[in-house]
Amino acid sequence: MSDSSSTAPGETVAESSVLACPACGEPSHDGARFCEACGTPLAPLPPAGGDPAPTGDPTSTGDPKSTGDPATGDPASTGDPATDDDPATDDAAATQPATSDPAAPAARPCVRCGGTVAEDGYCTECGEPAASERDHWAERPAAWVAGVCDRGVRHSRNEDAMALAASPSADDERAFAALVVCDGVSSAPDSDVASLAAARAARDVLASGSQEGAAPVTGEPSARIGAWSALVGEASRAAQSAILATVGDMADRENPPSCTFATAVVDGPLVVAGWVGDSRAYWVPDEGEARQLSVDDSWAQEMIAQGVPRAMAETSPQAHAITRWLGPDAPDPVARTAATLPDRDGWVLVCSDGLWNYCSPAADLAGLVRATHERVGGEPQALAGALVDWANAQGGRDNITATLARFVRSAAPAPDGLDPDLETTIPTT
Amino acid sequence: MAEFAAEVYQNEFLSEGATDVHAIVTVTCTGAGSAGSAGGGAGGVAEIIMVDTSGSMSGRNIEAAKHAAQVAVDQILDGTWFAIVGGSHVANRAFPYPNARMAMVQMEPGARAEAKRAISMLTPGGGTAMSTWLRLADQLFATVPQATQRHAILLTDGKNESEPRANLSAAVRDVTGHFQCDARGVGSRWQVDELREISTALLGTVDLIADPAEIAADFEKLMRASMARGVASADLRVWAPQGAQVLFVRQVAPTVEDLTNRRAEVNPLTGAYPTGSWGDESRDYHVAVRVASKPVGAEQLAARVQLAVNGEVVSSGLVKAKWSDDESLTTRINPEVAHYTGQTELAAAIQEGLAAKAAGDEATATVKLGRAVQLAQQTGNDEATSRLRKVVDIDNEEQGTVRLKRNTSTLDEMALDTASTKTTRVRR
Repeated sequence: MSDSSSTAPGETVAESSVLACPACGEPSHDGARFCEACGTPLAPLPPAGGDPAPTGDPTSTGDPKSTGDPATGDPASTGDPATDDDPATDDAAATQPATSDPAAPAARPCVRCGGTVAEDGYCTECGEPAASERDHWAERPAAWVAGVCDRGVRHSRNEDAMALAASPSADDERAFAALVVCDGVSSAPDSDVASLAAARAARDVLASGSQEGAAPVTGEPSARIGAWSALVGEASRAAQSAILATVGDMADRENPPSCTFATAVVDGPLVVAGWVGDSRAYWVPDEGEARQLSVDDSWAQEMIAQGVPRAMAETSPQAHAITRWLGPDAPDPVARTAATLPDRDGWVLVCSDGLWNYCSPAADLAGLVRATHERVGGEPQALAGALVDWANAQGGRDNITATLARFVRSAAPAPDGLDPDLETTIPTT
Repeated sequence: MAEFAAEVYQNEFLSEGATDVHAIVTVTCTGAGSAGSAGGGAGGVAEIIMVDTSGSMSGRNIEAAKHAAQVAVDQILDGTWFAIVGGSHVANRAFPYPNARMAMVQMEPGARAEAKRAISMLTPGGGTAMSTWLRLADQLFATVPQATQRHAILLTDGKNESEPRANLSAAVRDVTGHFQCDARGVGSRWQVDELREISTALLGTVDLIADPAEIAADFEKLMRASMARGVASADLRVWAPQGAQVLFVRQVAPTVEDLTNRRAEVNPLTGAYPTGSWGDESRDYHVAVRVASKPVGAEQLAARVQLAVNGEVVSSGLVKAKWSDDESLTTRINPEVAHYTGQTELAAAIQEGLAAKAAGDEATATVKLGRAVQLAQQTGNDEATSRLRKVVDIDNEEQGTVRLKRNTSTLDEMALDTASTKTTRVRR
C-alpha cells in the first residue's frame, strides 16, 4: 500500500505520496497513470475521507463475505477496525461512520483499479473483490504514529490485529505512543477475533497511563520504567481477559483461539517493550546500531539460546512454534518487558512475523526501514504501508502488521540518573 | 410478475498459472404468466403460421398441415395479432385475405372462424422458396410495431429448391432479431440444415415430424408454449473483467446453441446475447472466460452472468476464480461443466458423422458416430443412444466402436440430426 489514500483526510502528503503498482509492487508517484515497470494502469487515488488504505497488492483483499467490522464480523458493515471509540484515532478509516447502515455499504472504490465496487462485492471493472476492513486497514492516531495491518498474499484471513494510541505531537516532553500488535495463531480457528479483542484491550490499558489517561504514569524517567513495565504486564493480562470474554464457548475447543502480543510504549525519552510470543518490537535509530527489544518466546529463540545459528533456527520447520501465547490455554499471559532510553532519533517498530520473517536480524530490518524511509518519506503510515507492501512483494506468506512511532530524541533531554549514551536494553523482567 | 433466478455451477479453484474459467449458469424463470401479461396485454403479441403450399404437399401432407394450422389458430389467445401465410416459390397472405386492408388482425371468435375457413382453402402448387415466406412474415410483423413479442411457425415438406441457397441465408440474416421462429419439416424430403439455419438464427426449435398425422399435435404444443411465454424478450448478459476474454457463451440446455457470435455490446466489458421470449422454464448456459493468471491465494470475479429484461438486469450469477496450490481443489472437475462439455461434443460428433456419411466418407463417419455413442453413454443421453442405434450397430458402447448400418432409413438419420442438439440435464 503506502499510497496517500491511506493518509488521514486533511493531511498533505502529496510530495511523498507513493502508490505501489498492484501488479508488480513498483512504487510510482502520485498522478502516474501507468506503472513505469510493467505498464499496469494505476488507479486514481480514492477521494479523501474515504476508505482505509487500499493495499498495493491485488491479492491482499479477502472474501467479501467475511468483510466488515472485524469486531462484529458483520459482513456488510463498513465500520472499521480502527475507530473503536478512541477520538485520537484520526486515521482515514476512522472517518467511516461506525454506525453506517450495514444494508447500504458506502460505495468504495476498488482497491486494485479504482473502479466502482458493485453491490455483489466485486469491482465492476477488474473483478477484484471488495476490500475487507478486517483484511487490510491502517491506523494513525497521530501524525507521528501509524500502523498497517494486512492479510498478505497466501492467507485467506487476516488474523493479525493492531491497536494504537498516541498523544498529538512527537515533540512533547511527555510524548506518548502505544503500539500493540497481536498475531492470531492460524492453526487455531477464530484467532482473528481473539487478536483484535486482545490488541484493543491492551491498547486501552496502556493509554490509561498516558498524561491524558485515567491513571497517568508519573515521576522521573527512571522511575517510570518500572511503572510502565508493570502497566505493560497489566495490558497483556487485560488482553488475555478480553480474549476469554470474546471467545466464549470457543475456549472449550481443542485448539481455542489464541494470539501473540507485542507492544512498545513511548513516553518521552523512554521506550518500554513487552511481548508474549514471537511478535516483535525493534528500535531502529536513523543511524547506528538497531536492536530487537523483544526476545521471542519461540522454539527458534530457544535454539538460538542454545547456540544454533539464527538463520538455521529461524528456517527450521518448527521455527514458528511459539512457547508462550495469549488465549484460553495460555501457559502464562504476563508479558516480559524491556526498556530503553534511545540517544538519538529513530523509529520504534512493532511488527508481526509476516514482516520480520523476511528480514529477521535487526540490522537487516533497520536497512529496510531506512531505505524505505528514504524512498517514501517519513510519514509513518506511508512508511508502514510500504513495509507491508515489501513483505507482500517477498511472497506475503503470512499476515503482515507493521506499526511505527517516530522517536524524537531532542524533545526529551537526557534524564538524570541514567546514562545518556545508554545503548543497551534494560531488561525489566 | 416473472421472476428470474440464476445459479452458477463451477469449480472456482484454479491451479497456479491457470487462466480459463468455466461455469454452467442455470437461469430459471417462474411466474411468467401468459403471453402479453408483462404489459400491453395480448395486443403486444403477434403470431404468424407459415404453411408450405408447394406442389409436393399435395395429398395427405396438405390436408394434415391445414388441419394443424387450424388447431394452432385455436390456441392463439384473443387479442393476439395474427396472420396465415401460404408459401411456395412465392409467399401469399392467406389470412387476413389478400384484399383485406389490415395485414394482421387481432384474434377474436369471428376472426378465428374466418381464418380457419381461409386455411381450408389453401391449395398446393408451385415450388419452394422459403426466403420469400420469411420476408413476407417480416413485412407483416412490421405492420404491428406495438406487438413486441413476435413468433412464427414454419412448416415445410421439401427442399428449398426454387432459389439459390444464399437467398435463404440472406433472408434469415435480414429478419434475425425481428421475430422468433420454430421450424418443422414433415416427411423425409426436406433439408435439416436449411431449417436448422432458420430456427437457430430466429431463436426457435427445429424438429422432424415423421407422420403428417402428428403435425396437429406438434402445432398445438408449439402455439400453446408460445402463448405461455409471458416475458417477451430477454438478453443474457456476460460481463468479464478488463483484459479478460470471453472464450464462448453457449446455451447448453434444453438444446445446444452457440451464442458467442451474437454478442451485442452493452458496454466494453459487457455483451448481450439475445435469448428470445421466456415462459416458466429453465435454460442452462456454459460460459468460458480467460483471465490473467494471479498468484496463489488471489481471488477475482471472472464473469457476471445476468439476465436482462427490457434492459434491466433481473438476475445475476457470479463466476469466480480463486487460485490455489491445493490440488484436491484445483483438479476437481465440476460435474455440470463436464456433462455439458460432453453434450456439446456429442451434438458436433453426430452432425459431423452424418455429414461425413452423406459425403461417402465412411471412415470419418464411423469414428465420429462411434465417439457420439461413447459420449451419449457417458452423459446418460439415452435418447441419443437409441437414435444412434438406428444408424449404427454398436459393438462396444464404452469404447465407441461401431459399424455403420447399411440401408438405414433417411427418416432415422434426419431424426438423429435434428435431435442432435437436444441435451439431457445433469442428474443432480
